[in-house]
Amino acid sequence: MASLSEEVLLVLKKVRQRKQDGTLYLMAERIAWGPEGKDRFTVSHLYADIRSCPSCVLCTGQKISPDGKSKIQLQLVLHTGESTTFHFSNDSSALKDRDAAKELLQQLLPKFKKKANKELEEKNRMLQEDPVLFQLYKDLVVSQVISADEFWANRLGDTNHADSSLSNNKQEVGISGAFLADIRPQTDGCNGLRYNLTADIIESIFRTYPTVKQKYCENVPHNLTEKEFWTRFFQSHYFHRDRINTGTQDIFSECAKQDDQGLRSMVVQGVKNPLVDLLSLEDKTLDEGYGVCTTFPSTSNSNRTVKESSNSAIIKRFNHHSAMVLAAGSRKGETPADQASETSSTDGNSRDSDFFQPPVKKVKLQEAIEYEDLQTENRPKTVALNLKKSDRYAHGPVPLQSQQYTTSQDIINSVNYIRHEMVNYKPNLTQVLSNTTASSAIAALSSGGILMQAATQQAINQMVPSEVQGELRHLYAAAGELLRHFWSCFPVNTPFLEEKVTKMKSNLERFQMTKLCPFQEKIQRQYLSTNLTGHLEEMLQTAYSKFHVWQTRRMLRKT
Amino acid sequence: MDEEPERAKRWEGGYERTWEVLKEDESGSLKATVEEILFQSKRKRVIESHGQVRLGMMRHLHVVVDCSRSMEDQDLKPNRLTSSLKLIETFVEEYFDQNPISQLGIITTKNKRAEKLTDLAGNPKKHIVALKKAVGTVCVGEPSLYNSLNLAIQTLKHMPGHTSREILIILSSLTTCDPANISELIKTLKSLKVRVSIIGLSAEVRVCTVLTRETGGSYHVILDESHFKELLMLHVKPPPASSSSECSLIRMGFPQHTVASLTDQDAKPSFSMSHLDSSSGAVLSLGGYFCPQCHAKYTELPVECKVCGLTLVSAPHLARSFHHLFPLQAFAESPAQELHADRCCQACQGELKETSIFTCPSCCCVFCLECDLFIHDSLHCCPCCIHNQTNS
Repeated sequence: MASLSEEVLLVLKKVRQRKQDGTLYLMAERIAWGPEGKDRFTVSHLYADIRSCPSCVLCTGQKISPDGKSKIQLQLVLHTGESTTFHFSNDSSALKDRDAAKELLQQLLPKFKKKANKELEEKNRMLQEDPVLFQLYKDLVVSQVISADEFWANRLGDTNHADSSLSNNKQEVGISGAFLADIRPQTDGCNGLRYNLTADIIESIFRTYPTVKQKYCENVPHNLTEKEFWTRFFQSHYFHRDRINTGTQDIFSECAKQDDQGLRSMVVQGVKNPLVDLLSLEDKTLDEGYGVCTTFPSTSNSNRTVKESSNSAIIKRFNHHSAMVLAAGSRKGETPADQASETSSTDGNSRDSDFFQPPVKKVKLQEAIEYEDLQTENRPKTVALNLKKSDRYAHGPVPLQSQQYTTSQDIINSVNYIRHEMVNYKPNLTQVLSNTTASSAIAALSSGGILMQAATQQAINQMVPSEVQGELRHLYAAAGELLRHFWSCFPVNTPFLEEKVTKMKSNLERFQMTKLCPFQEKIQRQYLSTNLTGHLEEMLQTAYSKFHVWQTRRMLRKT
Repeated sequence: MDEEPERAKRWEGGYERTWEVLKEDESGSLKATVEEILFQSKRKRVIESHGQVRLGMMRHLHVVVDCSRSMEDQDLKPNRLTSSLKLIETFVEEYFDQNPISQLGIITTKNKRAEKLTDLAGNPKKHIVALKKAVGTVCVGEPSLYNSLNLAIQTLKHMPGHTSREILIILSSLTTCDPANISELIKTLKSLKVRVSIIGLSAEVRVCTVLTRETGGSYHVILDESHFKELLMLHVKPPPASSSSECSLIRMGFPQHTVASLTDQDAKPSFSMSHLDSSSGAVLSLGGYFCPQCHAKYTELPVECKVCGLTLVSAPHLARSFHHLFPLQAFAESPAQELHADRCCQACQGELKETSIFTCPSCCCVFCLECDLFIHDSLHCCPCCIHNQTNS
C-alpha cells in the first residue's frame, strides 16, 4: 500500500519484474514495485531487510538472454535469502535508470544496515568470545530464571563504558604530516619501484586531497582497477615535484589546477592573528648569505631564474600540503567555541592566548614580550588538613576503663629468648634472599598463607569430584550475577529501583528453587557429607533479610 | 694517560660505572654539577614534604606508554621500550605498596591510535604480567596524545568525585598525531579535574608543557636511566588534593579472616568470588574473608566486592597510608667536623666520612647521608626513636 506520507525519492518507469511491466519506486525507508496500471505495490522491501549492496551482484555480469540482447538488471538479496530481480526495459535510458537506482540504494542501505544487525551481531559476538558469559546465559536465560531481555539489559548497560574493543574500532585518527614521505618506495630489482600502500595511507591521501578522492570515486571500479589508479597516481606529475601539465591525458591535471585555486583563496583569507600579515611576506635579502642573494630587486617576478622558480614551486607545494593537512584535521566537523575562533590562528605561532585567555590584541602583544618560563613558579594551592585529636591515628581503639593485661609465661619466655639471640646477631649479607623471595616466604607463613593452612585443606578438593565442583562454580557465577543486580538497587531511591529490587528478589527465589535445590538433592544422593551449598544459601539469606528490612522500613514510612 | 683506555672501554662497553663520577670531578666536567643539582632537589623534597595537607589517597591512575617508532632508540639499554617497561614494573609494585586502596590502568599508544593494555584494577599481578608480555610489541608509527587521553577519560570520568583522577604519560616521541584540536581536550580535562603528568624521554615539547600546566601536573625530561627511575618514583606519593574536590564519607568493610577446619560441625567449603572467572584459580576452601554486607568470600584484600560493590580493606592497609599524612620530620644537617672521628652512623654502623651528617630532632641520633635518604624515602620512621620506645 502506497502511503502518501512517505517520501518518494526516485521513480523509474518501464521496470519489469517477473516478466511484468511496472514502475519502481524508491522511498525513504523501502523500495517498492507496482505493476503498470495498478496503484498498489506487489513487491515491497524495507532497506533494513536487504542484505547486500546491489551493485556488487549484477553490475559486471549482465545476463545475456538467448536472443542476443543483453539485459540490464538489478538484483536485491534479502537477509532471508530470497532475491528479487528487476529488469530495466526502457530502451533509451535503461542503463542510466539502473545506475541511478543503484547509487541511491548504495547511499541508503548503509544507514539502515547499522540499526538492525548491529545489536544482534554484538550479542552473538559477546557470547562467542566469553565462555563464562555463555555459561551464565545458559544457566539464567535458558532455564528461565530471568528473561533474555533482562539479561541483556543488565549486561549491555553495565559493560557500556568497559567495552573497549567497540570504541577502538571507532577511534578517529589524525593525519601525520609526513604520510607521503613515509610511503618509502622500494626498488623492485628490475628498474621499477614498489609503493606499499596501507589503508591508513590511502585514507590520509583521501582526507588531505579531496580532489583525488573524487577522481577515485569516478574512475574506480568502472574505468580502472584500484591498482591501475594508484599506479597512475604515483606516475603522474601531480605527485612528483615538477608539476608541468603535460596535456589532458593525465586524469590528475585538473587536481593541480584546483589545488592552485585553493591555495590562492587560503592566502587571501589570511590568518586571524593581528600580528601577522601573510600577503606582505616575501623573500628579502639582507646581505650575502642571508636569504636569496641577487643583484635584482626581488619583487619583480620576471627576473627569476629557472632554479628559483622550481624552488618556489616546491615551497608552494609544501605550503599547500601543510595547509591541506591542517584543514583536513579541522574539517572533522568540530566547531570551535566562539572565544577560540576569534583569536585562533592557523599559522605556526599559535600561542596560548588563542585558546585559554580573553581574545584581545593587547594580550597577544603581552605574550610576545613576556616569557613565562622565566617567571617564578606558582604552585597550585593545597588544602590544609584539619585533624582533631590526631594522636588517635597512632593506636587502635582504647577501652573506656583501664584494664590489666597479663601474658602467658610462654610468650614472655620466647621474647626473652629471641632478645638473647639478637644480641649476637651478625648479618651475613652474601647469603640473603632476594626481596621478592623473602616477601613471598613471609606471605606464605602469615595467617592464611599456603603453608599455614591445616592439612585438611587439600583433602576437600579430593573429596569432592571435579564435575560437582564445576557445576558448583557455575552456580556461584549465576548467583553472583543475580546478587550483583540485587545489591546494585540499594539505596532504593526511585520507583524504578523499587520495581527492580522486588523483581530481583523473586528472581533469586526462583533461582534457589530451580537450580540450587536440585543440585543439593543430587549431591545428597551421592552421599557427599560436606555441605557444599551452605555458603550460597547464606549469601541468599543475607539478601533476603536485607530485602525484608527494606520492606518493613518502607511500610513504616508509609503508615 | 688514564683517559685513553677509559674512552676505549666506554665505546665498547657502554654501561654506567659509578666510580667514574669521581674521575670526572677532578677534570671539572659538567657531570658532577648535574649530580649535585639532583641531590639538592632530593633534599629539598624531603624538607618541603607537605605535612598536614589534604591528600588524594584513593587514586585512579592511568599510565600511558608511548610505543611509537622512537621507542626503538637504543640510548636507554637495551632499547627505550624494554627499559621503560621494566621501570614501570617497579613503579607498579611501589605504587600499590604505598597506595593500597588505589587503582591503576595501563594504555599504550602507537600508529596514531591508543589501546588499553589493562583495565583499571587494584591488583598488581595482572599489570605486571601484561607489562612483561608487552616487551615484545613492535614499535611503529607515531603516538597520539589525543586518542590516549580520550581513552583514559572514558573510564576516569565515571569515578567518584572524592578520588583523585590522574594520568601519567611516558612520551618519547617529539610529535603527536591527533585527529582533532587538543586544546579542546585540555579544556575537558580541566573540567573533569583530571591531573596529567608527563615524563619525556627525548626533549621538552610545547604541547606537553601546556597540557601539564593547565591540568596541574608535572612535566620532566629524563637525563638517564637512574633519573628516569627517580622521576617515576616521584609519582608514587599521593598528590595534594585540589581545593575543588569533594570530600565525602566512604563506606569500607573490614572483614575478619576466618579459618575453619573440616572437623568443625558446620564447615562450609566455598569458592572465592574473585577466582570464579579463571579456570585454574577456583579452589574450594574453608576459610577466607567474608564481605560483611553480602557474605561473599574473597581470598585476599584489598578488593572491591564483586557482588555488592563495597570496598574491603584490612586496617593495616589504611595504616600504611598514614605516613603520607604524618611525614617524618626532616633531620637537621650539620657539618661532620664538629664530631669526633670515631662516631658511627646509628643506622648502618658505618663510619661517618661524608661532609654532612644528619641528626634526628627527637632522639638526637646521628645518621649518614645514605641512611637519611633511606629513612625518609622507605622507612618513614626513625629507627632509634622506635627502639627507644619499645625499650621503655
